[in-house]
Amino acid sequence: MRVFRVSFGERGVRRDVASEIAFHIEMRTRELVASGMSLERARAEAIAVFGDPALIEAAVRSERRRVVRRRDWRDRINSIGQDIKYAVRTLHRAPGFTAAVLVTLALGIGVNTAIFSMVNGVLLRRLPYAHGDRLVTLEHPVRSLAINDIGFSPTEAADLRASLSSLDGLAEYHSMSFDLLGHGEPRRVQTGVVSADFFDLIGVRPLLGRTFIRGEDHDGAPPVLVLSYRFWMTALGGDSAIVGQTFTMNDRQHLVIGVLPPLPAYPDRNDVWMPVSSCPFRSRPRVKSDRAARMVAIIGRVAQGRGPTDAQREAAALETRWHTAYPDAYSPAIKDAAVKVTPLRASMTQSAAPAFLVLLAVAGLVLLVACINVAHLTLARHLGRQRELAIRTALGAGRRRLLRQLLTESVLLSLAGGAIGLVGAAGVVGALARYTARFTPRAEEIVLDWRVAAFTFAIAALAGVAFGVIPVFAQGRDVVSRLRDGGATTSGNARVRLRGLLVIGEVALAFVILIGAGLMIRSFARLVTTSPGYDLQNVVTARVDLNFTKYSKAEPIRRFTDDVIERLSSNGSVKAVAIATEFPASSSNAQNLSTFVVRGREVADSSRLPKAEISIVSQGYFGALGVPIVGGRAFGPADRDTAVPVAMISLAAARKYFAGGDAVGRQISLDGHQWATVIGVAGDVRQFGPASDVPEQIYLPLTLATTRDLRVLVRSGAGAAATSTLIRQIVHAVDPNQPVTDVVTLEDARRDAIASPRLTTALLTAFAILALVIAAAGLGGVIAYSVGQRTQEFGIRMALGAERQAILALVVRQGVGLAAIGVLLGALVARSTAHSLTGLLYGVQPTDAITYLGVAAVFIVVALIACVVPARRATAIDPAATIRAS
Amino acid sequence: MGGSDLFVGTLDVLILKAVSQGRMHGYAIGRWIRQTTKDALNVQEGALYPALHRLERKGLLEEDWGVSETGREAKYYKITAAGRRRLRAEAARWKEYADAVTLALAAGEA
Repeated sequence: MRVFRVSFGERGVRRDVASEIAFHIEMRTRELVASGMSLERARAEAIAVFGDPALIEAAVRSERRRVVRRRDWRDRINSIGQDIKYAVRTLHRAPGFTAAVLVTLALGIGVNTAIFSMVNGVLLRRLPYAHGDRLVTLEHPVRSLAINDIGFSPTEAADLRASLSSLDGLAEYHSMSFDLLGHGEPRRVQTGVVSADFFDLIGVRPLLGRTFIRGEDHDGAPPVLVLSYRFWMTALGGDSAIVGQTFTMNDRQHLVIGVLPPLPAYPDRNDVWMPVSSCPFRSRPRVKSDRAARMVAIIGRVAQGRGPTDAQREAAALETRWHTAYPDAYSPAIKDAAVKVTPLRASMTQSAAPAFLVLLAVAGLVLLVACINVAHLTLARHLGRQRELAIRTALGAGRRRLLRQLLTESVLLSLAGGAIGLVGAAGVVGALARYTARFTPRAEEIVLDWRVAAFTFAIAALAGVAFGVIPVFAQGRDVVSRLRDGGATTSGNARVRLRGLLVIGEVALAFVILIGAGLMIRSFARLVTTSPGYDLQNVVTARVDLNFTKYSKAEPIRRFTDDVIERLSSNGSVKAVAIATEFPASSSNAQNLSTFVVRGREVADSSRLPKAEISIVSQGYFGALGVPIVGGRAFGPADRDTAVPVAMISLAAARKYFAGGDAVGRQISLDGHQWATVIGVAGDVRQFGPASDVPEQIYLPLTLATTRDLRVLVRSGAGAAATSTLIRQIVHAVDPNQPVTDVVTLEDARRDAIASPRLTTALLTAFAILALVIAAAGLGGVIAYSVGQRTQEFGIRMALGAERQAILALVVRQGVGLAAIGVLLGALVARSTAHSLTGLLYGVQPTDAITYLGVAAVFIVVALIACVVPARRATAIDPAATIRAS
Repeated sequence: MGGSDLFVGTLDVLILKAVSQGRMHGYAIGRWIRQTTKDALNVQEGALYPALHRLERKGLLEEDWGVSETGREAKYYKITAAGRRRLRAEAARWKEYADAVTLALAAGEA
């Protein structure tokens, strides 16, 4: 009798079916013969009542195949299930090992999950616009002035729209802040001003109501507003009846027509959006007609089948025609202006990509270190399991079966580790998204989605296979058979050698990570300690963006600024007050580079004119910021209303452009017509944040200008909170309807300016500490194992008179030796890869010797500590006992 | 093999009924059906086998190789728990159907 009958594939199916049918016919024939028929007739009759056997066989076979396939699957799943059950049981019996592996893997995988969620949210996900892949930004850089973008005038935008066939749509954009009245307190709202087709172009549908429609940006169209999701939620409490209500802006009624869904804060963090016809500034006749009134940005959509390069080529041809046709609007200073077309995705993420990719690579290294360490632990565990594995072999498990069992265990562990890592990453991803907001407007898209989860389990499975297979194969070709033989006699030396190699690899990788972190820390320290050129402490700044309609002329602006400065100065705690267009390291600081002419040194070729940043400041500016006056004098009361305009320059400008003599007393001009006398030289200031170079600067007095977007700077001993309140009170005393926004201290501004290198440094440092701890644990484990192996040897040595000190030295030398080899190897690897950090480093070379020596020293100290514990155990050996034991 | 859905269903029920009495090989199942229905169904005997394998695939029957009364190795079928449940349900359904038809026909005579 057959107990097991296994059908092997198609042949089995055919045989089974044929024999079943043959049996039937035979039985039927027998029955007919028994009833008296001849054998021959009986057989013919049996077949006749059966039907066509070939036809029936075919029908049965196809059923049968499905049965077999199903059974095979069930068997396979059952046996995997058995493996898993067995693995869970054995792991449960080794809680120490299981816990160590899970912790190591959860950390190693968790950091990768966290960093990948950043990469996924910012670099991989599609833009949240329907036409995201086809959107481009148009910029207008002037290379000779080192200006990234001078912007476009509305006239230029109209020209581009009319003549670029490679774009099937193009919208203009700029952002201004306006006062919004009508719902509670007056609010200053950042307003995106766009052509009517903007939202259709990028592919955004409103959450409520509608977006702008064709014609709504034409002159005379009634003013309308679309609200951003964030503004609608925070300022209006998500009022679902908001569409149809009106707000007063710029002395006109604006009808709310729609609310947007949540979107990246791009191009700016706008509260509300309006069509160009609603913007009082953009609708001024001069702005509409002056080809040189460059104030808007352009977003375009590439036509199907065309690319950004096509658009760039067409725009370049158009630009050349502009320069010839309208020489007045294209001064020689901008003669090399050229339109640059960049995919929107790139322009939204380019500042984040380098740091993210470095972080992802380093997180990968951390996981590698973790895997090597787990391979150690697994190797050690295999030694303890030789008997068990031998028994399973004796029970008939083949090499493949055993390997599968070991792999099931390691993959099970790594998936569990991955799951824990995923949960851990979920806890930090919110914080990461907040910090990442400095890098990119897409930070809010950083979430744990299915892609992050898939990535996590994929790397977990990969890690499981890696650390499951390495210990098995690396020991020699036929480890399983060795395990099968009982393995007790196999040399411990081969195993020690392998573990030594693993530890060297681990140390080398950890070293590379530490070098990365070390370089970032050195760079960050540079950033923090480099003198900014001004005194950061006790200065509060606030933005006062004067109402466009109320302060349209110079006189009211001047009355306002004079009044605010005077009232603030008279407060007892205030030490200095200034008003300027910008302050150093401000997040809104934009380049304002201009060429200028020095009287007596006029040059015909405008591209060879000197260049400087232009800042407009009130008379107390240098005192309030603590910038020293290094020559001449600062602006004073005498410089008000003077018929002879004055200017100051920075030390860098004086050195560069007036190297041969004194700058003070010379005359300069921005336009070649109006001249100003240089009255003083101010110390250099890192205007664009701590990592930027010191620019050459020209300071012009506030009294000469008619700018409305102003910064109040107050140096006070009263503390930031009290000073902020004071600024608000006094501005409101001068003009009760004037909003005061963006209140920050100079220290805040500077901290914000270095937020992204700080995040990168902090993450890399955390990775480095993690890698160092794991590597140290690996080293300590190997030394402990080796001490265990050499107990007898040490016993004999001691019996022969070796000092305990000498044994200690022997063990420590072994550990530190391994670490030293790892460090050397790591240094070589770091040396050849650290250049990928160059873009993130400030004031430090990727080959910085101090970092390398410092990290090496850290490693040797850690290696010593990791070795001393097992080494002390070696010296505690009782020689007599060990020799007796053998 | 010809026949309506009703017929296919009928054959399935008869097979389940046969096997519910104990394990049987295909020939014995066919013989049982022939004898108990007094050949009324008049099926080609071969039609039984696709039905047996279909029921096996559905998990209503289980294969069980054994040695036949003639000493040959043969494929036997056993009913599974699911098969028994199905048999009960089908039998009830069949009875309901038959009762309804009987009732309808009787109504015409009254």
